[in-house]
Amino acid sequence: MSASLARRAVALCLAGTLALTACSGGNTAQSDSDSNGAQASGETLVIDTAFSLETGDPGRNYVPTGSTVLHPIYETLLTFEGDDESEPVPGLATMEVNEDATEFTFTLDEGRVFSDGSPIEADDVVFSFERLKGMEASKANHLVVDIDIEKVDDMTVRMTTEEPYLQLPAIVTNPALSVLNSEVVQENGGTTDDSDAAEEFLNGTSVGSGPYQLETFDLTSQVVLVPNEEYNGDQPAQFERVVVRNVSEAATQLTNLRGGDSDLALDLSGDQVAELGDDFDITAGPGAQTIFLLVNQDDEVFGDLANPAFAEAVRYALDYDSLLELAGEGAAQATGVIPPMFLGALEDGVEQDLVRAAAALEESGYDGETLTLRFPNDQPIGGVDFTTLAERIQSQLAEAGINVDLAPGPFASEIDPYVEGTADFAMWYWGPDFADSSSFLPFGPDETVGTRSGWTAEDAPEIADLVAQARTATDLDEREQAFADFAAALQEEGPFIPLLVPARSFASTDVDGVTYNSNWTIDIAELSPAD
Amino acid sequence: MVAPTRAARNRTSGSALPRYLLRRLGTSIVLLIGVTLVTFVLTALVPGDPIAAALGEGAIQNEATVQAYRERYGMDRSLPERYLLYLLALLQGDLGTSIRTSRPVMEELSTALPATVEVAFGAIVVSLAVALVLGTIAAYRSGKLADQVVRVVSLVGLSVPTFWLAIMVYRLFFMQLGWAPGSGRLSPALNPPPRVTGLYLIDFAIDGDPVGFIDAAAHLALPVLVLSLFTIGLLTRFIRTSVLEVLSTDYIRAARAKGLPARRVIVGYLLRGASLPILTMVGIAFGALLSGTVLVEAVFAWPGLGTYAYYAAINLDLPAVMGVGLVVGVVYVVINLIVDLLYGVLDPRVRLG
Repeated sequence: MSASLARRAVALCLAGTLALTACSGGNTAQSDSDSNGAQASGETLVIDTAFSLETGDPGRNYVPTGSTVLHPIYETLLTFEGDDESEPVPGLATMEVNEDATEFTFTLDEGRVFSDGSPIEADDVVFSFERLKGMEASKANHLVVDIDIEKVDDMTVRMTTEEPYLQLPAIVTNPALSVLNSEVVQENGGTTDDSDAAEEFLNGTSVGSGPYQLETFDLTSQVVLVPNEEYNGDQPAQFERVVVRNVSEAATQLTNLRGGDSDLALDLSGDQVAELGDDFDITAGPGAQTIFLLVNQDDEVFGDLANPAFAEAVRYALDYDSLLELAGEGAAQATGVIPPMFLGALEDGVEQDLVRAAAALEESGYDGETLTLRFPNDQPIGGVDFTTLAERIQSQLAEAGINVDLAPGPFASEIDPYVEGTADFAMWYWGPDFADSSSFLPFGPDETVGTRSGWTAEDAPEIADLVAQARTATDLDEREQAFADFAAALQEEGPFIPLLVPARSFASTDVDGVTYNSNWTIDIAELSPAD
Repeated sequence: MVAPTRAARNRTSGSALPRYLLRRLGTSIVLLIGVTLVTFVLTALVPGDPIAAALGEGAIQNEATVQAYRERYGMDRSLPERYLLYLLALLQGDLGTSIRTSRPVMEELSTALPATVEVAFGAIVVSLAVALVLGTIAAYRSGKLADQVVRVVSLVGLSVPTFWLAIMVYRLFFMQLGWAPGSGRLSPALNPPPRVTGLYLIDFAIDGDPVGFIDAAAHLALPVLVLSLFTIGLLTRFIRTSVLEVLSTDYIRAARAKGLPARRVIVGYLLRGASLPILTMVGIAFGALLSGTVLVEAVFAWPGLGTYAYYAAINLDLPAVMGVGLVVGVVYVVINLIVDLLYGVLDPRVRLG
């Protein structure tokens, strides 16, 4: 090969490298320039999150990213402020409830309008509600099956239930119950039954009354929000453009934040948050999901070990502080099945007691056989890796004389035996359907998760009564006490071993108002440029 | 026997080509039906209920919703019935509806595929250009320092885990040096171009938007770089071997003995002689790039086919999984066809038939 050819080859490589570098052109996001219209610095908010987005139709949405992007576009009758989920506050309406807690009357605020300027009236509320109730194929349909609605007058609606239903105000805050512009939705295929065909329209156009409206909506890459110019509520948009991007890798979210390409990262683990310096604002606290172990109480499933004593042995064999180390900053020990942010959550959790564990183990009839712990391993919750957690549990149980093999599997495969109640010893997680403690009553005997554990009302009639009391309470104090009693009773004799409440860790730069809310993760409407 | 004239050969080729294409089309259809059958059987064998996976905890307690989902997605029918219905719909260009998003799979794939094609095409062009140079240098300097360096470089390119490399490259060029833009296909301030092809570079060019074009090109740089490093390693080693084989042939020795300039020997004789196996490997590498970029797409938040396949798989979204399988099958069929056709162009001795 001649020398000139070699030189040309080297020159070609260099040219390629330079071309690549030239193409890179620097960090365009930091330059804030825009071919579609210049944005002043600070006016665009970029949020990175791993998408769980499925639709732009509030009535069909029941996934977290959907709630995050739809909540600032659509308003609900009641809402929550910041991270306070203890009691709903007025949204589009104020609420009155009768003594039996079966009639809930909502009076709409005067003068509020949709993004096209048309007024919000009772007909819009009734249509939006009836649409959700009629769409049986909507994942959110189950929220309203026990509720009826009627129009009282142009500005008033009434929701009724057969039984006392104090969880209704919390249900009403869910973005699935957003109030839509009924006229526009009906013009674009909206109906109040399963023939509804408005989803495609709503994937491209927003018809809400919130401070933002939809500019672009792409299920796989990003959603762009811009201010709703007609908004006349008390929380106007603080950014001229909000870009919510799908960044599935937490490492990339971290790099984007540190490199200045994003302003807020929603899916960082506790360890990643700890890696960030003082230049970033950290919001880290317990989330709304509980990771727990399940000990099946059906002897056809778990044989001789289907008894509360074995669950007790496991419960007191574990070192919860050690487990908590795996969950990173902001996580908490699960003090019961109800996470700390909800009514009735217990103050203190179980502490390791190997003597009590040994006594319970002897009572349980365990004779040294090797058990199999099943768990989903492809969906870390709040940065908690289930395999790592299961390995530590395995090690701690071994010290207490319980031999365990681990059987991880994909969520999609593992959910079947769990739901069907054929999993004998498993690790799972549970989050609220809506922001209320009643979302954790399914842990009761003969309830959803209880049934999956082979736990019947016959096994624990007193706890079944506590479930009924909590569910049908008509007084808030009575309700809180019933939830607390329920949670405490489960810690004594339930088939569950609550382990951790994983953290929700957010990191941001120059953004105020970042708080966690289980309904919509973060409230984009409450975000503003840092002072 | 007198050899046929060039005109006669062309006439023969001209009449053979349509027959050849027709035959390939027939075998491709059979092959793709096979792909759908295998994908369908595999997805049916995967333990887990797609409806349970799609609905999640809350909705699965609602019998009406479960029933509505089963009916909508045909899960209340037998497996053979579902497969036949799938094939019938396929004949009309319908790949079904995603269980996760309720949108047509065809529509979703038509968004995801161009994103991957754009980055894969960039990677294969860069890889081929670099690998041709490096491979040829290594072969020409066989056993010498340049050869050793190229071999080590290509081995490193092949050995470094792509996922790790992507993270490191992104941190270095974006976060540390600030030479490259952030993740995704565009900067947050920009909107995608009006869709014509789905390839942002082309669509921005058609739209006459130079800022968008440059921004899209800048976002392509790092994913292309990472994917190229592996492919360069692969192709360089292959090209070196192919060129070495041709270098030892009589006609190359004769060309060099006649004193022909090195450039003419390399371009006119050497590379042409080595082109067929190189072409085969390029086709395989391009197919692999189109169907195997999931990790790189995850790091660079690239909304391509890999990302789509990942979400489809973890959600047991069977129509989407079937769609991805079919698209990957079509990609390989088309690439193989193009490679075979190019064989005939590069080497007239190769007959289509």
